[in-house]
Amino acid sequence: MAESPAVARSPIAPALPVAVENGWQVSARRSMADLRITDCTPLAKILVLGHEGGAFGVPFGRAERDEDGVLVVGSGPGEWTLFGPSGTAGQLAERVATALLPDDGAVFDLTHGRAAMRITGPAAADVLAKVCAIDLAGEVTPDGAAWRSSVAKVVTDVVRDDRGGQRSYLMHCDRAFGQYLFDALLDAGAEFDIEVDGFAGPGI
Amino acid sequence: MQVLSDTMPMRLEVRRGERIDRRHTLGFTWNSDGYTAFAGDTIVSALAAAGERIFSRSFKLHRPRGLLTASYIDPGCMVQVGDEPNVRGAHRLVESGMTVLPQNAWPTLRFDVKSANQAVGRFLSAGFYYKTFMKPERLWPAYESVLQRFSAGGVVSEGSERGLYDKRYSHPDVVVAGGGPAGMAAAVAAAEAGAAVLLVEEEHELGGHLRWAGPDAVDALGELRAAVAATDGIETMTDSVVTGRYDDNWVAVLQRGLPHVKERLVKARAKTLVAAPGLIERPYVFEGNDIPGVILSTAARRLINMYAVKPGHRAVVFSANADGDAAAADLERAGVEIARLVDARKGEDIVRVSGGKGLRSVECGDGAKIKCDLVVTAVGWTAPTSLTNMSGDRPAYNPRAARFFPSTLPDDVLVTGGIAGDGSLDQLLGHARAVGSEAARRSARIGRRMRASVPHSESEEGREGPADSPVIIPELPISGHPELFMGRTHGVVDYSEDVGSKDLVAAVKEGYDSIELAKRYTTATMGPAQGKLETVNAVAVVAAATGSTIEATGTTVWRPPFNPISLGALAGRIFEPVMLSPMQPWHEGRRAKPLVAGTWIRPDHYGDPAGEVNNVRTNVGLIDVTPLGKFDLRGPDVPKLLNQLYVNKWSKLAVGSVRYGVMCAEDGVVLDDGVTGRLEPNRYMMSTTSSGAAALWEWMENWLQTEHPEWRVHLTPMTSAYASINVAGPKSRELLKRVAEEIDLSPDDFPYMRVRTGRIAGVDGCFVWRIGFTGELGYEIHVPASYGLHVWTTLIELGADLKAQPFGVEAQRILRLEKGHMIIGQDTDGLTGAYGAELGWAVKLDKEDFAGKRELVWQSEHDDYFRLVGLQPADPSEVPPEASQIIEGNKQIAGRITSSRMSPTLGRSICLGFVAPHLGAPGTTVTVQLPDGRRIPATVMPQLAHFDPDGERARG
Repeated sequence: MAESPAVARSPIAPALPVAVENGWQVSARRSMADLRITDCTPLAKILVLGHEGGAFGVPFGRAERDEDGVLVVGSGPGEWTLFGPSGTAGQLAERVATALLPDDGAVFDLTHGRAAMRITGPAAADVLAKVCAIDLAGEVTPDGAAWRSSVAKVVTDVVRDDRGGQRSYLMHCDRAFGQYLFDALLDAGAEFDIEVDGFAGPGI
Repeated sequence: MQVLSDTMPMRLEVRRGERIDRRHTLGFTWNSDGYTAFAGDTIVSALAAAGERIFSRSFKLHRPRGLLTASYIDPGCMVQVGDEPNVRGAHRLVESGMTVLPQNAWPTLRFDVKSANQAVGRFLSAGFYYKTFMKPERLWPAYESVLQRFSAGGVVSEGSERGLYDKRYSHPDVVVAGGGPAGMAAAVAAAEAGAAVLLVEEEHELGGHLRWAGPDAVDALGELRAAVAATDGIETMTDSVVTGRYDDNWVAVLQRGLPHVKERLVKARAKTLVAAPGLIERPYVFEGNDIPGVILSTAARRLINMYAVKPGHRAVVFSANADGDAAAADLERAGVEIARLVDARKGEDIVRVSGGKGLRSVECGDGAKIKCDLVVTAVGWTAPTSLTNMSGDRPAYNPRAARFFPSTLPDDVLVTGGIAGDGSLDQLLGHARAVGSEAARRSARIGRRMRASVPHSESEEGREGPADSPVIIPELPISGHPELFMGRTHGVVDYSEDVGSKDLVAAVKEGYDSIELAKRYTTATMGPAQGKLETVNAVAVVAAATGSTIEATGTTVWRPPFNPISLGALAGRIFEPVMLSPMQPWHEGRRAKPLVAGTWIRPDHYGDPAGEVNNVRTNVGLIDVTPLGKFDLRGPDVPKLLNQLYVNKWSKLAVGSVRYGVMCAEDGVVLDDGVTGRLEPNRYMMSTTSSGAAALWEWMENWLQTEHPEWRVHLTPMTSAYASINVAGPKSRELLKRVAEEIDLSPDDFPYMRVRTGRIAGVDGCFVWRIGFTGELGYEIHVPASYGLHVWTTLIELGADLKAQPFGVEAQRILRLEKGHMIIGQDTDGLTGAYGAELGWAVKLDKEDFAGKRELVWQSEHDDYFRLVGLQPADPSEVPPEASQIIEGNKQIAGRITSSRMSPTLGRSICLGFVAPHLGAPGTTVTVQLPDGRRIPATVMPQLAHFDPDGERARG
């Protein structure tokens, strides 16, 4: 039987048990492990292409949360990526579009075009150091640093976004690489006993 | 000193500072016989404790070999452990149940048939393979099989379990290569100055020569180890080695001994490198210097002080320095009778050693012949300058010290320890501490410079760094040492390669009179020890043979790796990124045959490609075309970009319309093709080929960022953001009606080459364009990718009564070939211009400018290029393989087949191909040469399409 209503799916196969949250098929697993990886693909993701020094005030290479908890990332010169709770992409896009001057830029909904995942835990940097050549020392990539680099040979945007005092990295890549990248991170984290933790809203 | 049990007749009583743990015994086999070791024993120390002396046979001459250095580089101690060949027996720790076998010996180590090589040794001199085993050439297969049987090394079993290897990146401020006393002191000082330090030590624990310097060194060793452990900021890797130093201090570290991987390659970008490799004791060249029982003084001290093993019973010690004297004292304390101390400082010498499988006697310089079972030599030290060499330094020889020293180092490389000079332990530690502090200071300066250029690091304001004045590094004294390399008789220079001083002298006589030539001709220094034991002796022999000096002769250049490195470590984890469509789980469930298309995995077919073709022509088929390149273009100046990049015109494309476009490069060569639709006044969706998508993105951004930054255009790739489904066949409209909302599918309202947006199967944000790669009535649906699987399964389910079935890439290729639709890159190549590809109809030369225009103007005025035509073999059952050549006369190439299939629709073979212009007229018969040599005739068709040439089915 065809699903009704339609269910959105991440490119990353969910770890059991599976649930539907906010129209998305997600993993409902809860992990208490020290090192956890979460599929965050359901997050709303908005790409803004504009001019440097545009409406956001977040510089290239940094990420900050606005008053609504939306994570605004300066992901490139004249480029910002916004992460919001699952299901809010439309509102986010509209809000951004009205803030931009006419002809000043363009807003794209990349919610379905990017796979996102987060690694959290004291060994998060050790895992990333196995697949990413960027210097993860605090002086070079402190909390709030954002960069684009190769992670396990895939072009990936990485944001250091510590949570609860723990080292945490939010990553996103072309959706089609999502399963591959997730598996590569699980492989790299195996020696640190990484576990999959399911997605729980708002997730950002 | 009393020896222990019968199983370990050479084991001594407990020694202070020994590294074995006598509480744990381990059983292992050597040569199928059982042996016992203590935890902490190496394979060779355990065997030596049991009284064994022969561990291998030499590479070429199969001479029996014992231990020489009792360290990682010991050339006589390469053994096979289980499935693993070329294990360093004097470094690898014994594990319970280990199966150890000798290498390079048959049938046994003691009675090696191949030692017959010694009888013909004069015919096996260095470089013999340049002069022998050549004529007659027809016997080469026989020569090869003989030579293979005599090749050295262990055995690799095809059934060996594959080991896990991985890699890791690191960014230490300071890498200290060498964990001896100087390395430890430098690491502590650097860390105390605020640097993040990576300390790398080749042996299983830190300590360097303090580990075997006897009970007096134990306290100093303990203090230094405690300091390292107690200092924050030092990451220590033992049983690991810095294998190479590359540009800008990119340092490769091979890490062993990890629990979950066999080996790990650590790629470290160090701000400074401190080389503290210590000194390597040099062997002495004389007749019989490779007979088991001839060892270095450091080997004797390692065996006694680290492993509590008595190296022999009656020894002659040949000493030129205090370390040799200390070795003699250690031997005496271990109960070894010192038959004679031959003092090189007094001009005394040893001439030759006699023995076969074991040492029997030594002849001294004064003619005395002394019976003994052990000869210990201490004739000097070699500085392992490999890492500094790799840093651009050419070491300089100091005759007074009889060794090489680094001379010119870059700012980010420092040295300490024996490689820098001599002195007491306190002097060495003082030097090392200063070097460590200075390394930290330089690292901090480099770090500040790097961070200032990184956009996302914190501001440097207010950050205190170490004082900026250079740390004063005290000079180390350089002790004099006699120059002792070779005695009065010829002996082995390179133990691993079985190269003797005679071979080097002969090479010089043959004209290989530079050290670089002599090295390559004889292979001296090219073995597993990589020159550490033999380079200086080789230089000395060549210098003497050429009447030159060591200084003038110089050394060869050390290149990475410092130590031999396994291929597994270099490979690491195999990262092969894979791109998957949202419908991939469904394809796998239907057992679709996977097709690797670049990084994408696509369904090639579902079991019956011909059946899939027929179903599309008769009913309705669905194909997953998600990998199709897609770009979302926004802004008022998008038409300018389209006009610039495409050969055709775009200014008047209406909202809701779709146009086919061809892109050429500046040289007029076809770059890509696809359709672009206008969804909104300032929003376009461009499609490209799947394989061209990444390159096209760069192409477009290049034009926008460098050529026309004033154009108001923003674009982003959406290839993976949309799941794309081509619904094709006479019943496709009927099927689409069952899922499309807010879209009028009537032919008048949705004609061919139009685009509409709306809801599909309850999913918002979809767009549909009516195009036809297959040549049938068809629609390409683009759905937000997260709903791709939902839409696909809904279509399949709701289309059951219409016989809706999936079709794969193979069927699509057949369908489009029936219609004569080319594939860029398959039916075109790097020289195919638009006119040659029969795309001249699309080229609008009256546009002011576009990429490739100049070249295309020229092409339009000429006709001497190969043309793309439709071809049908005369025999309809013959399907020429793609790339078959079209020939004229006997040898002239006049074209090639680019696409070729059996057409289920027409029941015959069909092709596309390039032909020379004079063969392009419809009806011309051309000759196709098949790979098996046969030649078949084929006819040039009036058009590219073999089926429905007027395109009526797609426009219905």
